[in-house]
Amino acid sequence: MDQEQLEKKWLAGELSNEDKKEFKKLDDYNLNLEILESAKYFKASHFSSVKSYDHLKANLKEKSTPVRKLQSFKILYRIAALFVLGMTTYFFLFYNNLTTVKTLASQKTSFELPDASSVMLNASSTAEFNKKKWSEKREVILDGEAFFKVAKGAKFDVKTNDGIVSVLGTQFNVKNRDNYFEVKCFEGIVSVNSNDKSHRLTQGNTYRIINNVVVVDTTVKNQPEWLDNLSNFKSVPLYEVIAEFERQYNVVITVQNVDENRLFTGGFVHNNLEQALASITVPFNMTYKKVNSNKITIYKIE
Amino acid sequence: MPDNVCDEKVFSTIYNDYSKDLHDYLYYKYGDQFDPNDKVQEAFIKLWDKCKDVTFKKAKGFLFMVAKNMMLNEIKHRKIVLKHQKIKPKDYTNENPEFLLEKEQFLEKYQRALTKLSEEQRSVFLLNKVEGKKHQEIADMLGITKKVVEYRIYTAFSIIKSEIKEFK
Repeated sequence: MDQEQLEKKWLAGELSNEDKKEFKKLDDYNLNLEILESAKYFKASHFSSVKSYDHLKANLKEKSTPVRKLQSFKILYRIAALFVLGMTTYFFLFYNNLTTVKTLASQKTSFELPDASSVMLNASSTAEFNKKKWSEKREVILDGEAFFKVAKGAKFDVKTNDGIVSVLGTQFNVKNRDNYFEVKCFEGIVSVNSNDKSHRLTQGNTYRIINNVVVVDTTVKNQPEWLDNLSNFKSVPLYEVIAEFERQYNVVITVQNVDENRLFTGGFVHNNLEQALASITVPFNMTYKKVNSNKITIYKIE
Repeated sequence: MPDNVCDEKVFSTIYNDYSKDLHDYLYYKYGDQFDPNDKVQEAFIKLWDKCKDVTFKKAKGFLFMVAKNMMLNEIKHRKIVLKHQKIKPKDYTNENPEFLLEKEQFLEKYQRALTKLSEEQRSVFLLNKVEGKKHQEIADMLGITKKVVEYRIYTAFSIIKSEIKEFK
C-alpha cells in the first residue's frame, strides 16, 4: 500500500492492525500525528462560542409569536365543521329511522309499534325497530325481555342474539339474557329459530335454552307474570334467578358458599325487597344481609 | 415527529442540538471577523419566522443554508485567518523554552497553511479533527455525500502537510 492510501485510511480511522504497522514506518509518521494533534489549537470555542437559547429567546419574543396560534384554531374549526356535517348526514340517512327503547334496572316500560302491536319491556332491556320500513318488514331487535302483543298481519320477527322468533299475530314473551333464551307463547302460534333448529310453539307452551340445553315446558297463565310485578321460575339455575333479581331491584348480590347451579322453582315480587329476598333464600336454607343500600350478600345458614 | 417547528419546545431542542455545530462550521469556514455568533442568531430567527413551512427533519439543512448565504452576502472571498491558542508552558512537564518556541513556529506555519485551504476543505477538516464530528454527521450538515467529506479531509490534510514541509 502506498503512502497516500495509508494516509487516507488513517484519516478515516480505517487502518487495520497490519496497516498500522506499515503506517508507523512512514517517514512522515511523526509529522502526520503532529498535524492532527495541533489542529486542536485552532478550536473554535477558544475564540468564539455560541450564545445560550435564552439569549435567542429574548430576540424571538420581540418578533411576534401570537399570530401563529390562530393557525391551529383554523384547523380545529375545520375538524369541528366536518364533524358536525358528518353527524348530520349520519342522523338524516340512518339514525333517524331506528327507534330505540331502553330500560334500566328496576324499570319497566311499554310502547306501541307502528301497526298498533304493543310491546312491554322488562327491566334492563333494549328494543330497536325501524319506523320507516315497518310496512315492508315487521322486525324488532331485542336484548333482554319483552312481552309482545302482535296485531294480525304479515310476518313479525323478533331478533335476538340467541335466535329469531317469528309469528303472524299472537301474544308471546321473549327473554334473552346471558346464556338464557326463553320464549313463552300465550296465544296463537310462534315459530322459534335458534341454532339452525326451528321449533313451533302453540298456545301455553314455553321454549327455553339455558347453556345450550333446550327445555320445552307449558304455562297456564295468559300473560307473563312480570307484567304483574312478579318473576316466576320453573327449574331455572339459581344464578339466573339472582341475575333477574338484580335487574328488578337494581342491586348487586354476592353469593357465598352456595352452589349457584341448583335449580330454583318459585318466584319473587318486584315491589317488596325483604319479601322477595326471603322468597329466594328460605327455600335453599340461606339467609341474607344488606351490605349497603344496593349491595346484598346471600349465604348459607350454618 | 412534529410536522413543523413552531412549537417552542421543539424549537429550543433544535437550538440546543444544532447551534454549536452551526457556529463551529461558520467559524472554521469564515473565521471570526464576521461574527459567526450573530449569523447563528439570525439564522434561528429566520427559522422561527418560517417555522410553519419547515419540518423538523429539514430544519438542520435550512439553518446551514441560511447561515451560509448570510455569510456570503457579507464577504466576497477573503483569506480567513484562524487564530491558534497561545501555548502556555505546562508546569507539570519538562517542556523547555526551546520546545515551546518550536511549537509556536510550527503553529504559525499551520495557521498559514489553513489560510491556503478552500473554505470547504478547512471547515470539513476542522469539524472532523477538532470537533470530532463523524464523516456522516458532516455530510448531513452540509448536504453532501460522505465520499466528498472524506476527499475534502484528505486534500486539506495533504495541503497542510506540504505547506508545513515547505517552510521547514
